[in-house]
Amino acid sequence: MRRSRWATHRALLETVADVMLLLMPRSVDSGGHAESRLRRIEAVTDSALAHLDLEQLLPELLKRVRELLDADTATVLLLDSGGEHLVAAAASGIEEEVRQGVRIPIGEGFAGHIAASRKPLVIQQVDPTTVVNPLLWEKGIRSLAGVPLLAGGEMLGVLHVGTLDSTPFTEDDVEVLQVAGDRLALATRTGLTRGERAAASALQRTLLPALLPAIPGLQLSARYAPGEASGVSGDWYDVFTLPSGWLCVAVGDVVGRGLAAATVMSRVRTATRSYALDSDSPTEVLTRLDRHMRHFEPQTMVTMAYAMWEPSLSRIHLSLAGHLAPVLARPGERAELIEVPVDPPIGIGTAPVQRRSVTVGIPQGATVLFYTDGLVERRDRSLDDGLALLCETVATGPTEPLCSRVMSRLVGTSPTDDDIAVLAMRRQEAEELREISFELDAIPEVLADVRATLRRWLPSAGATPEEAGDMLVVVGEACSNVIEHAYGPLGGTLSLRLEAREGEVLATVGDTGHWRSPRGTHRGKGTELMHQLSDDLRFEHGPGGTLVHIRKNVTGGDPA
Amino acid sequence: MTTANVEVLSSDAGAIEIAVTGEVDLSNCEVVQDDIFAAITNHLLTVRLNLAGVTYLDSAGLRILFALAERLRLLQTECQVMAPFGSASRRVIELSGLSNLVELRP
Repeated sequence: MRRSRWATHRALLETVADVMLLLMPRSVDSGGHAESRLRRIEAVTDSALAHLDLEQLLPELLKRVRELLDADTATVLLLDSGGEHLVAAAASGIEEEVRQGVRIPIGEGFAGHIAASRKPLVIQQVDPTTVVNPLLWEKGIRSLAGVPLLAGGEMLGVLHVGTLDSTPFTEDDVEVLQVAGDRLALATRTGLTRGERAAASALQRTLLPALLPAIPGLQLSARYAPGEASGVSGDWYDVFTLPSGWLCVAVGDVVGRGLAAATVMSRVRTATRSYALDSDSPTEVLTRLDRHMRHFEPQTMVTMAYAMWEPSLSRIHLSLAGHLAPVLARPGERAELIEVPVDPPIGIGTAPVQRRSVTVGIPQGATVLFYTDGLVERRDRSLDDGLALLCETVATGPTEPLCSRVMSRLVGTSPTDDDIAVLAMRRQEAEELREISFELDAIPEVLADVRATLRRWLPSAGATPEEAGDMLVVVGEACSNVIEHAYGPLGGTLSLRLEAREGEVLATVGDTGHWRSPRGTHRGKGTELMHQLSDDLRFEHGPGGTLVHIRKNVTGGDPA
Repeated sequence: MTTANVEVLSSDAGAIEIAVTGEVDLSNCEVVQDDIFAAITNHLLTVRLNLAGVTYLDSAGLRILFALAERLRLLQTECQVMAPFGSASRRVIELSGLSNLVELRP
């Protein structure tokens, strides 16, 4: 209570002070009374301003500056990201400047000259020969004073004021303007840094997969932690399937910090996915990515581990570009770093090389852990010690607690310099896969995913290749029916449940739509095929949708 | 995404051999049908469709084969379908009754 009453008093006093300042005309001020000069400076260095965000501070400070100097306009121009233009960021008096996105080349005209020379400037002639922005002379501005916005030796922009009458601005005026400018420069730099951090972290959040893909047969968990010293930078992980049923994994680190590294990371991630779509091997993807980066991002270096899981999930093909080797924990064995030759990073600093990869068998129940260097590099611990600790920590078993354990033992409570990405992948055992179910959008594009899943699952459920081939068609037909007939143009979902039993497999394909009989020429073949290729087929129509129950005898041995 | 490739293996005045490879399902059957039909002219006496490289075929693919057989009967062009024993498409084609309309070869 006490505090808020004090705040009210203070605000009131400030308003009174502002009004008093307002009442003092510029002509009297420029007489050079030391006291009024001090007041004027106090008005723009008022500590209450420190609590405002940049968005609120700019207009408030411009308003005060305008009033203090009895000016008709006050404008802040900030250097744009290209570094060669000033862009109107806030204006009081001629607000159109901001709306019209006024851009002034550095070195040209009044503001451009201040930015280039980093010195204040006062002019008495406002026309196309002295000023780039036509708004100023069109509005009848006749006198201008401007100062550079400097913070820590860095030029951030220009603050200038203008009047309709031709009375020149005095040295005192320029001094007050420069004090306001310094204030603005500091606030702008803090705001920009804060904004940049927020943008980088928003970018990271949107790019890291919020939900890892559900791959029957694989358990996935991941962690991302921004560095405490530098905030978010360029670490990322990505998991995606290919139409062929292969599963790709990328874990990497764009060298650099903050928003710049995060934006490059977003492009590297997209480029990697593009090349993955057209490549059969990790070395090919990394080679193409390397060429891409050398051409389009010549100043960038990226380290990366790239792996491709075979559709059977029994082997991975792995290639490293200047990245630390993943850890592999096989059931009943000590976890160790995968032995793989390390090729140079992607991008600058090295000559293109013939890249190498290894193929590693991943038995059921085994876990592979990918990570970035932030996890193991500490100022107070050698890299080898970090890696040894990591190998000691990684074990088979559920991935979610594994990730927590890894983060807790390797990061603990000490602040980290660098950001950290960790991705754990565990191949599930047949026992865990006796029963799996999942839901997909009922669109033709998912049929290939369904087949990829079935091709992995059916052998582990005891189906011979011929039986698996039959089951592929029966389930494919049932799914095609849902996609073609169950829903209107709004679409819907397709659910699939698979169960392995003694000597048989069961599949249930479901929708939540309305049954209709197949249409078109040469149709109706599908149902016939389903009957022929399965051992039992039952359609269950209900008000909530249709379920197709499929049973097929299998002779490929016990599911184990 | 399902992908298949349609390629003309050989073509002379009287006969053409068209090879399909990859997978054929609901998502790509129209494209595959268009590609196959576009390769066939009305001058041909024999069309040979080679399905040895097809790794998945269901009723969506059968629709193409039935439509092709029907069109070729109208054009009085002979239609041969090559699906080796044990290949993914063989069993589905055998069960479909297509062999009554076309000459099914291994």
